[in-house]
Parts: sequence; structure tokens; C-alpha cells
Amino acid sequence: MPKIEVNESLFFKLLGRRMDSVSLEALLPNAKAELDAWDDTSTETEDRTIKIELNDTNRPDLWSTAGLARQLRVRETGEIPSYPFFVPLGESRKAAYTVIVDKSVQKVRPYLAGFVARGPAISDAMLKDFIQTQEKLTWNYGRKRRSVSIGLYRPSIIAWPVHFRGADPDKEAFVPLQETRTMTLRQILAEHPKGKEYSFILQNEAVHPLLLDDKDRVLSYPPIINSADLGAVLVGDKDLFIEVTGTEYPSVSLTASILACDLSDMGFSIENVQVQYPYDTPFGRNVCFPCYFQPEMRAGIEETRKLLGLGMSVEEARNAAQHMGSQARIEGDQIVIKPAEYRNDFLHPVDLIEDILMGMGMDKFPPEKPHDFTIGRLSAIEEFSRKAKLSFVGMGYQEMIYNYLGARKDYIDKMGIQPESVVKISNPMSESFEYLRNSPLPGLLGTEAVSSKAPYPHRIFEIGKIALLDKAENYGIATRQYAGFLSCHAQADYNEKASHVATLMYYLGKEYTVREAQDCRFIPGRQAEIVWAGKPVGIFGEIHPTVLEAFGITMPCAGGEIDLDLLLN
Amino acid sequence: MDALSVAKTLHPLEVRILLAYDPGSEIDGETVRRDLHFREGQENQAFSWLLGKGLITEVARSASTHFELTALGHEYAEKGSPEERIIALVAEQGPAKLIEIAEKLGFDQKTIGSAFGLLSKVGTLSLDNDKRAMLVGEASFPQRVLTIKALLTKAKAAGGAVAETALSEAELEVIRSVAKKRGAGDSPFRVVERERVLYRLTEAAEEFRGLLKSLGVSGEELGALTPGLLETGDWKKASFRPYNIGVAPARTIPGRKNPYVEFLESVKDKLVSLGFEEFDGNMVETEFWNSDALFMPQFHSARDIHDVYSIEKPSMAKFIEEPHLSKVAAAHENGGDTGSRGWNYHFDRDFTRRLILRSQGTVLSARQLPSAKVPGKYFGIVRCFRYDKVDATHLSDFYQTEGIVLGKDVNLRTLLGFLEMFAVEVAGAKEVKYVPGYFPFTEPSVEVHIKHPVLGWFELGGSGIFRPEVTKSLGIDVPVLAWGLGIDRMALMTLGLNDLRELFSPDLESVRLRRTLMQPK
Repeated sequence: MPKIEVNESLFFKLLGRRMDSVSLEALLPNAKAELDAWDDTSTETEDRTIKIELNDTNRPDLWSTAGLARQLRVRETGEIPSYPFFVPLGESRKAAYTVIVDKSVQKVRPYLAGFVARGPAISDAMLKDFIQTQEKLTWNYGRKRRSVSIGLYRPSIIAWPVHFRGADPDKEAFVPLQETRTMTLRQILAEHPKGKEYSFILQNEAVHPLLLDDKDRVLSYPPIINSADLGAVLVGDKDLFIEVTGTEYPSVSLTASILACDLSDMGFSIENVQVQYPYDTPFGRNVCFPCYFQPEMRAGIEETRKLLGLGMSVEEARNAAQHMGSQARIEGDQIVIKPAEYRNDFLHPVDLIEDILMGMGMDKFPPEKPHDFTIGRLSAIEEFSRKAKLSFVGMGYQEMIYNYLGARKDYIDKMGIQPESVVKISNPMSESFEYLRNSPLPGLLGTEAVSSKAPYPHRIFEIGKIALLDKAENYGIATRQYAGFLSCHAQADYNEKASHVATLMYYLGKEYTVREAQDCRFIPGRQAEIVWAGKPVGIFGEIHPTVLEAFGITMPCAGGEIDLDLLLN
Repeated sequence: MDALSVAKTLHPLEVRILLAYDPGSEIDGETVRRDLHFREGQENQAFSWLLGKGLITEVARSASTHFELTALGHEYAEKGSPEERIIALVAEQGPAKLIEIAEKLGFDQKTIGSAFGLLSKVGTLSLDNDKRAMLVGEASFPQRVLTIKALLTKAKAAGGAVAETALSEAELEVIRSVAKKRGAGDSPFRVVERERVLYRLTEAAEEFRGLLKSLGVSGEELGALTPGLLETGDWKKASFRPYNIGVAPARTIPGRKNPYVEFLESVKDKLVSLGFEEFDGNMVETEFWNSDALFMPQFHSARDIHDVYSIEKPSMAKFIEEPHLSKVAAAHENGGDTGSRGWNYHFDRDFTRRLILRSQGTVLSARQLPSAKVPGKYFGIVRCFRYDKVDATHLSDFYQTEGIVLGKDVNLRTLLGFLEMFAVEVAGAKEVKYVPGYFPFTEPSVEVHIKHPVLGWFELGGSGIFRPEVTKSLGIDVPVLAWGLGIDRMALMTLGLNDLRELFSPDLESVRLRRTLMQPK
């Protein structure tokens, strides 16, 4: 979930009024946002920022100062801002700027959108905000620039039209931002900080994308880095050319729309850019940006009432939808919206219905007591486990609970078992959490290893899940409910465990037999397999001194484990 | 402690001394043993306790020599000396060879030899022609033998030792000749230097004497109530010695449930009481059930390699059940028959089989859907795994509490009704607030914030109505409410902890001492 920092003055200017933290906190849920922090008055007014967390990952338009302010403003006033510069998909408009796409980028980065903004000199706060928006959009929404990346330029120094074409990474070179020397694309990926960060997107591509002006000067190397000459924007600049490239056209286009609406809100006028393709795209071969491409969405009033549990009128529903920024009309018993230009999150009528809910406000919906009668019950394994637990507690055992992820040294090396028998994580975060346990015993022995100062005798148990490799399963791995138990004291021995197992099995109502076992975790000849209904369901015995030594335990231990799932069925 | 409390806790040995002697009396171990029939050693115990309470003081201390019976001495005192026993044997059974006598009496030859030597010297025994010992005339004992016999009797009567001062010159001469320092095993006496300590009962003893009399304590009270006392009914003839209830009790180490598990069980019980049925499932799941079935697009940023744990071997499920796979794939690609326009991308049917560790409890809700009853309510408190750096507020594996409600007529307002019920019943909330939320698999989505009596305002849970893309793909045509509760903060509060890692603490002593401070209501 993205967190953004908004400049307090800029935010309130765009919102249309100032407010305190209590009012702001009450307002933010309308954008599924939460107040995270607010600079206090020790910071200069102009520099004060508000930290806000945005929860809706389908609303990238809210991840900027202007976008968030717009949502809150529209929600309060119901006045939908006008963005006349949008060109409906499929329509053409005469544009002063053109980008010509070459066939060579079709495989690597096929789509581009762009526009030009002219307006007031860019302030420091605006530039900061713009860079933040760019980062949030490309990182979260653009999947770390894989599907969407953004570039900013000064249009006046560019020789139009601009060209987007493929390049040989070992041959073409330019001076990237934050550098003074000419580097090949390959060098940039290997040596430039941004190149290293994003090289994963292009490293397996033979042809890399490059944006150039008509004089063949490099504007940028999408999605990696801009050129130092033509790709630098500074405070005080009045004109901007903004391009968005990527692999999914709706995301690329929506990103351009969001940026255009934000700049428009901040007083810029937006001018269209036409993009020409030599190949078919979901948007056609000639596309004018900013482009309005979102289809209408409709929801029946009955459907709306049923899902929300309230009998609102169709007008109420329409008004509520408008308060969320989309033009809405009534068609018979349906509410039809044209999604706001900066939104593309209506996949299903339920998305519109949620907008109606939010437009009306949650407080209009009083909670209703459930009336369907159902019978509650614990799962059979939980009931059975609790029965086993009572026996252990009665026999003087302290129940323990452990994490299920652990280190090789604890689950495998110290236990002296084969690593192949334990489920391994292929992308562990650290060695400490690399395996999914196959037994409760390492946890219990871990307790003994750190508890030699606790008064003896120690009798501990755990009932919990373990994972076993099992070729018969679709997943090749079975999850089982196990009871593990361990006694540690000077007289802990096989006989104590045998007696406790007998008691446990008696009260579980399971008649069992024992047979000799060869489990390296226990002392040979002092261990027994528990057999019930003809199958082995567990094992117990005296823990082998090799295991105790590996855990650094100097007290005799006897213990075991029982598969409760097997025993139940 | 006041005198009365002390008096109540006096040991019977102390009581008997206090009642037997007037204040000002001077007593020593020997006196007390003799007068009160204390066993050896008891007098010293009693003296040390009385000294500690200031009821006696030490008056004088003097050293004296004692002759103490050795193990052999005790045996002689009981069965007679070798000389006596030889005479008795020969008198009864007639002449016998020394070797036979030694065998019959169980003495070694040396002892028999020297005893015979003594007796033949005084003419009591002599050897006949067959080298057998025989009586010469009447059985008469030499004086020395008689003196030793008297000394043995005297020492035994005096509790196993006799003081040097209590013996005559003649007795001393004999005993000195047989006693050995540090008591060698072949001698009936050993010489010991004893310290005699003389005590005097203090004035304070007078007060205690009064108190004891008023309490009716005699020192003859019963200690433990034994089966024998109950069988014979002897307890009726005596009273019980009172115990000092001010003594710190010994620690008991009980068998116990783990308090965190107990907390989780109490939440489960609460949900069952609200009509929910428990579900459970695999820790290892597929991308399909963990995310695809929940309509999270495969390109979603939360599904990156570093957000879920994947399994090394096996890395893929063999198959995904149909028709779920086809229907979910269609919902992703173009909405299928769910009324959605879908995510509009190519659904990867290999990726969906990838094995991972369950990252959210909602997996179980999705898995439950195809077989769920309508109306139906289900829940699970299950272990989930997150790609988080472990610290006080993040764990790599932890419990999530999740559930669903299926019903023809459930809606947003019923959802709020359930949230209110959880807030009040499970969390003991005083105030409840609902705000719009966001989850990829629900629409609308609602967060519930509660004002907890101790913790104040916090987010109790997230919820919503499953998207039709989720439910219709799994064959469900009624609305399904989905909810999750964050109960970890309540668990920490209930257990008096402030670090999530402590919930799974391996430290036995800290788990043993942990208490449940407040059960959820």
C-alpha cells in the first residue's frame, strides 16, 4: 500500500480549504486513505508535509497531492472538474506534437502515451510532488517500471517529431542523468545506479527501447534513465513534455491521464500528443493523448439495493456516483457512469455499487443483525486435539507453541535427519526461516536447550501442524496435526513415556500396540513405534545423546510425536 | 510476629522443655534426655530453636571425656561378651574345639583365642585331651569380664555413652584398657571428648509457658495425621499441632495450557457460539488458491517473488481441480460468466500450479466455497506465512482469523451487523466505526475500527463482500461476506506482552509464569 507525503500548503490550496487533523482524519476514508503523520509547527509552513497512506491499489490517481485533494473535494461538493483536453478513443484531433513509434519496439516495450503541459513556473513543492507521483505510479502501479515508466522533458528544446525505436544496447550510447560521460546502453545497465536497479527488465532483450528527437538526439532510455542533455527538468521550467511507455496499454494511457489531470488541477494547460504506430495496438494505430478510453459501467438499482441492503432511490444512487467523480445518468432502472478520466477501476457493476456506497457515506447504512440460523462447531481435528491436550495437561505437561519456519541447523542438522525429508523454501528471507518443520520435536528440544535454569522436571508438549513430503498428494506435501511431547529430568526414560502414551491413548479411546523402531533421533532399543489400526501413527523413546549434544542439552530427555490426523480417521 | 503467634508455632520438643522446667532452671542435654526421654540429638535441635527465640541462654560450657559404645559394644551389650558366650555354650553343649566354638558363635578365631586365654588363665576353662575347651568346675567369670559387662550395661542405659566422671577408679582402669580413641572396630568402647553446654531458661520463657498453658498445648500434639491414627481412632485422644501458616508455600509446577493457545481457543469458542463452523487446510498451497481464485491478477505487485515463500521441491502441484481452473482463468482473462470485464491479460496456467506457503487465511475461505452450505458460516484461525523481516511487530509465521458468511439475503448492512457482533462479543468494544477499505477480492470492502476498553481505537479487521469474480467462478450464486480479524494486539494485551515474538517464546520459565490477565469478553 503506497504512502505519500503531501506538501501541506499545496494540498490545502488544491483542496480549497485548510483543516485540522481531526477534520482531515474524518475526511480521508472517502479516499480509502489514512493519516499517518503530520509535521508539527516547528517546521516552516512552506515545508510542512502530511504523510498519508493509501489503501486502494486500484486507484493510482489518489497517489498524488492533486489526485487526493481532487477526490476529497469532489466527494464534498459533487462538482466534477472538467478536463476538455481528453480525446475519446478512436477520435482524432489535430495535435501539434507527434511521436512516431518504430516496429522495432513492438516486442520489448510496445506502447507509448504522452502530452505537453504549459503553465506556471514549476515550484520546488510541485517538482517534488511530481517526482513522488512518478515513483509511486511506476513502482506500485507500473510494477517497478516493468509495465509503466514515465519520462519528463522540456519540449521547447526538442526537435519534433519524437521517435521511439529499438536500439542495439552495445552500439548506441548517450550521456545519462547523473553522469558526464557517454555510456552504451549495456554500460548503463551495468554501471549506472538506475541501470543496475532496473536492468532486470531488459537484461534478456536483444533490442532495447530508445526515445530520440528528430535530430537523433537521445531523450531517454525507457524504462531506465533520461538523457542528461534533453531529459532534465528543473524548478522554474514552464513547459513539460511527458511520455509514458509500457507493456499494457490501459495502464500506460491511464498513467498519462492521471498526470495530465494533476497538472491541469495545478494550473497547467494540456496539449495533445499524437502517437503513430506501424502495428496494431488495442487503441489503434493513431492515438491522441490524453486519451479517454474507459468504457461505461452500469448497475441496476435493484442489484444495488440488494447488495447494500438499503432501499435508496435511483436519483440518490446517481448523485452518490457523481460524488465519486464520474459523470452519471439514469437509464430506466439503471445507473450508468462514464468513469472519471483518471480512473479505470470499474471491472464489474459491484465496483460502481461500492462507489455509490462511498458517495452516500457509510453512516447511511445502519448495521443489521444477521438472521440466518446456522450451527457452529469446531473442526473434528480441533475437538480431538483438545481431548489429547487435556490428557497431557493432566499428566503435568506445559503446553508450548512454536513458529513453523526454522533453520536447517535446528530442523535437520541437530536432529541428524536427511534434508530431503523437510520442505524447503526456495526463496527464504534468511537462513533462520528456510524450512517448514516436519516434526514438533526440534521446537521442544529448543526449549530444553534454553531452559536449563527452569526448575525441573520439565514436561512440555505442543499440538500443531507439520508438513510431510507425500508423493501421493496432489501437492506432494501433506499438512498434518501432530502432538509432540518431551520430558527432561534426571530420570526421564522410555518407561515414563510408555506410561504416558498408554494413558493418552486410553483416554483417546485408541487401542494400540508398539513395535521396535529404528529412528536415529532416539536411542536404539529404547524407542517404539505406535501402531494403531495396522498403521504407524507415532513414535516415542529416549532421545539419542547425539541429538541432545547437538542441542547443548545435558539433561536426559524422553519424548515422542503422534500424528493426530491419522489417529482421528 | 507477636508472642502468641510464635507460641502457636513452637515445636513439640520446645514446648516440652518450656513446660518441664521453671524459668531460671539450668539444664543440659543429658538432663533433658533423661527427664524428657528425648532421643539423642533432639535436645540439640530444641536448644538451637529456643536459643534463636531467646527463651534460653548459654550459661557455661565444659569439656568432658565419655566412653561411647561402638557397634561391637552395642552387640556385646545385647548378646553378651565373647567370654560369657563361650562359657554359656560349653556349659550347655559340652566340650568343643575352639574352631567349632568360633563357628557356632560367629566370632573370628582371634577373638575366641584371646577370650579362651583369659578364661583359662583364671582357671574357668581348660583343654581336654582332644584339645577341646571344657569347664573346670563351676562356671565362674573373672572380675574383669564382670566389670566390662557392668560397663556395657551402664553405657547402654545412659543412652550409649558413659561419662568419665560417673565411673569408679576400678571401672576406669578396665574401660581405659579396652576403649580406643576414635573407636577401632574391634573394641566395644571408643573414647570421645564431649562438650557439655549448660543453659538457663530466661524470663521470656515464663511468658511462653503462660501462653502455652492458655493455648492448652502440651507438646504431645499430633504432627501428621497418619492412616494408623485414623484406623485406631487414636487421633481422638490428642489434638493437632498447629502449623505456621506464615511460611512461604513451596512452588507447584502444574500441567498447563499455553496461554496464547488458550486465548486462540477462547476466540474459536466465541465464534462457534456465534454459529460459525471451523475450517482448516494445508500450509502449502498453490498460487491458484492463494491468489488466483481470489481474483488477484497474476501481475499484481503483491504477488512478486519476494512477497510469498515458494517451495523448492516439489515446486508445482500436479493439477488444479476443474472446473475451478477454467472458470477462474476465464474470470481473469475476460470475466467469464461472472459479469466482469476481467483483468484482460493472458492467465498463466503453469504459474497457477506453483507451490507456496499460504500467505493469507482467505485461501481457506476460497477453498471452502465450492462445498459451502447456504446459509452457512465458516471460520478458521490458521497459520499464515509472510515475507517479512521478523521484529516486534512482524513474524514470518503467525495466525490469521478469517471467515465467511453465505446467505441469499446477506448484504453490506448484514456485514456491518457481523462486524458489530465481533467488535462487541470478541473484542469487548465499547464503540465501533466502519470505514471503506480495499481488498482485491471484496467489493465493497469495509474496515472496522473499535474503541477497546484498554487499547483505545484500533483497526480490528477487514471485511467485504466477495467479488462475483471470486464466488461465481467457484460455483456460488449468493453473496458471500468475507471477514478477517486482527486479534494479535488483543492477545498481547491479554498476556501482558508487547512483542509478537513472545507469543511463540521457547523459554519454558517465561511460559510457565505467563498469565492470562484478561479474557476477551
